Amino acid sequence: MTSDVSQPKADPTPAGTDLFDPLGVDWTPVSPRLASARLTVTAIVLGPLLIGTVALAALTGVAWLWSLPAVIVLLGVWIGLLVPRQVRALAYAERADDLLVRRGILFQQLVVVPYGRMQYVDVTAGPLARKFGIASVQLHTASPATTASIEGLPPQEAARLRDRLASRGEARLAGL
Amino acid sequence: MSGTTAAQHLEWRRMHPVTPALKGWKIVVAVLVVGGYQAADDVRRLMELFEGRGWLVVLGVLAAVAVVGFAYSGLAWRMTRFAVTDEAVHLNTGILFRQQRQARLDRLQAVDVVQPLLARLVGLAELKLEVAGGSGSAVSLAFLRESDALALRAELLALAAGLQRPTAAPAPALAPEPATGAVGDGATATAAVPGLDGHVPGGGSDVVAAALGAPTTPPSTTAAGTTVVPVPAFEAAPEHQVYEVPIGRLVHATIRSGATVGLVLAVVVAIGAGILSRTFATVFFLLPMLFGLLSYVWSRINQGASFRAATSPDGIRLRHGLTESRAQTVPPGRVQAIRLSQGLWWRRPDWWRVEMNVAGYSVSGEQQRDTVLHPVATRDEARTALWLVLHDLGVDDPVAVVDAALTGTDGAQGFAVAPRRARWVDPLGWRRHGVLVTRRALVIRRGRWFRQVDVVPHERTQSLGLQQGPVQRRLGLASFVVHSTPGPVSPDVAHLDAAVAVALLDEQAERARTARASAGPEQWMRTQPGAER
Repeated sequence: MTSDVSQPKADPTPAGTDLFDPLGVDWTPVSPRLASARLTVTAIVLGPLLIGTVALAALTGVAWLWSLPAVIVLLGVWIGLLVPRQVRALAYAERADDLLVRRGILFQQLVVVPYGRMQYVDVTAGPLARKFGIASVQLHTASPATTASIEGLPPQEAARLRDRLASRGEARLAGL
Repeated sequence: MSGTTAAQHLEWRRMHPVTPALKGWKIVVAVLVVGGYQAADDVRRLMELFEGRGWLVVLGVLAAVAVVGFAYSGLAWRMTRFAVTDEAVHLNTGILFRQQRQARLDRLQAVDVVQPLLARLVGLAELKLEVAGGSGSAVSLAFLRESDALALRAELLALAAGLQRPTAAPAPALAPEPATGAVGDGATATAAVPGLDGHVPGGGSDVVAAALGAPTTPPSTTAAGTTVVPVPAFEAAPEHQVYEVPIGRLVHATIRSGATVGLVLAVVVAIGAGILSRTFATVFFLLPMLFGLLSYVWSRINQGASFRAATSPDGIRLRHGLTESRAQTVPPGRVQAIRLSQGLWWRRPDWWRVEMNVAGYSVSGEQQRDTVLHPVATRDEARTALWLVLHDLGVDDPVAVVDAALTGTDGAQGFAVAPRRARWVDPLGWRRHGVLVTRRALVIRRGRWFRQVDVVPHERTQSLGLQQGPVQRRLGLASFVVHSTPGPVSPDVAHLDAAVAVALLDEQAERARTARASAGPEQWMRTQPGAER
């Protein structure tokens, strides 16, 4: 194997520093209420499961069946620790000509969507999201691979962002 | 005249009257296939059915299906009409559920003239307009007389290119029908029907005309009952052929594939197992594989036969197909991305398959044939195919750059490649993974054994992405993704140096923006650039 030609002196980015720092943008985090909403969903799913498995184990009296609720509790704790971190990692930034959305801690992802490439914008809010006062904004380009959705925005902010994106998109409108 | 007094001024035309005969067969065949498939489950019962007079019943059912099929097609034909204005193509279809579709010509992505075998025999063709609205958004005008379809294609392309209609309005074309023109709107519609096919005017036609809110002006008809294209016709753009695929190479290349090698291996294994176990049971496992391979080879050869590509002011012209012939026209600037790929078995003859992303050509299995720019290209032809899409690659030595992209490794010709530490995550391909930014396009290459090169013109970049997993972060790597419209090409570069990838993302966003600002107009014959942007 030969030595690397193009980037011989580039040091590996030290672990822990942010991959997207070089872009030098101010990230706007989403509302922490998104974490509450996601945890509520988790509780709604896992709660009955936990009760069911506990009841099953208690009623049948088979010892190894207690491992089921234990696994569910562990899963719940894991999700409980993970979700707030995930939500903190979800952020967006409006630049002059494009919108940046980043997400993920372990698997980091960044999407850059030029305003002129936007075909339409979706604002959605389910019943639970409305309860928590959040909404999600999703941008669609002509490419289905564009996964630029921002969950957990306060409704006013979502509406503002939608209008802003729409107006900027119109100003920079291009074909395909 | 009613046609000119209406606000919309639409001149409605019908498909060719033979259409129901061609489409009706499809229904009959579909029923036969489904019925046969169901019946084949129980051969013995099928045999019983044919004993005595059972076959009469089967024949009767078939006849009934045929009658229903053709009657349905006939009705559908009567409900189908289209109109072309300077801005859009209108198509109304549907018997129970009416559909009025309007495709804007400035959003036109491609125009295809398709001739299935049966239609080809009787000289008819289907005209398909692709607009970038996802799958099922195409406007299909089936069937028209071949000459009409070609004339209409020339007209649509000219209008989409931003050319003006040659002076005279379509009014002269309506002149030979003074009697019907004097009557009211509803009467005009009904009067139009007998002129077309001699059918007794039904109530449905009135309903359609009323629902449309626009008068259905009778197209002037010939004795044969076919519609006539309006007098002010556009000349078809001249074209210049750039390459043609010899059938011998196509057959050779299609057979020379991984599937064939797999089948040969399977045959060897099966024969070996058969000899050892002294049974022939293994043969039955081979049969489906053989059929699968044969149908694959056949469809590839059928689609790619007599493949020709040409340039014209209206963009790229592609013609291909053995039984079903297709003539595609992709206007300038409509190709979103292009991929050159070479499998393991094509390395020795140095053949390349060239595919493209065009918005509107969906990727569903059936439409795969639409996105082929060259089924099997030599190195020179691959370069030509690339040139068809991108006349200027934006480099000083395009030949050397394309060679470096196709087969090169490491940083030759300025490719930014994955750093050496990327070998931990990609031990085989890390020296191939690379990206080159030219003045006009982004060139991405990958694959040590299955070589691939993706080229995305800067102005066709939709959005960009950057990804980093835990192992990549430890190694200081990141993957760069370019989002393109749906199609066979999905450009990405894995395992670039993280700093390089972030810089590339940032610069590419900027480059895409400036390229769009200076790109040619959407209506490609309009001279002032940026008029549509």
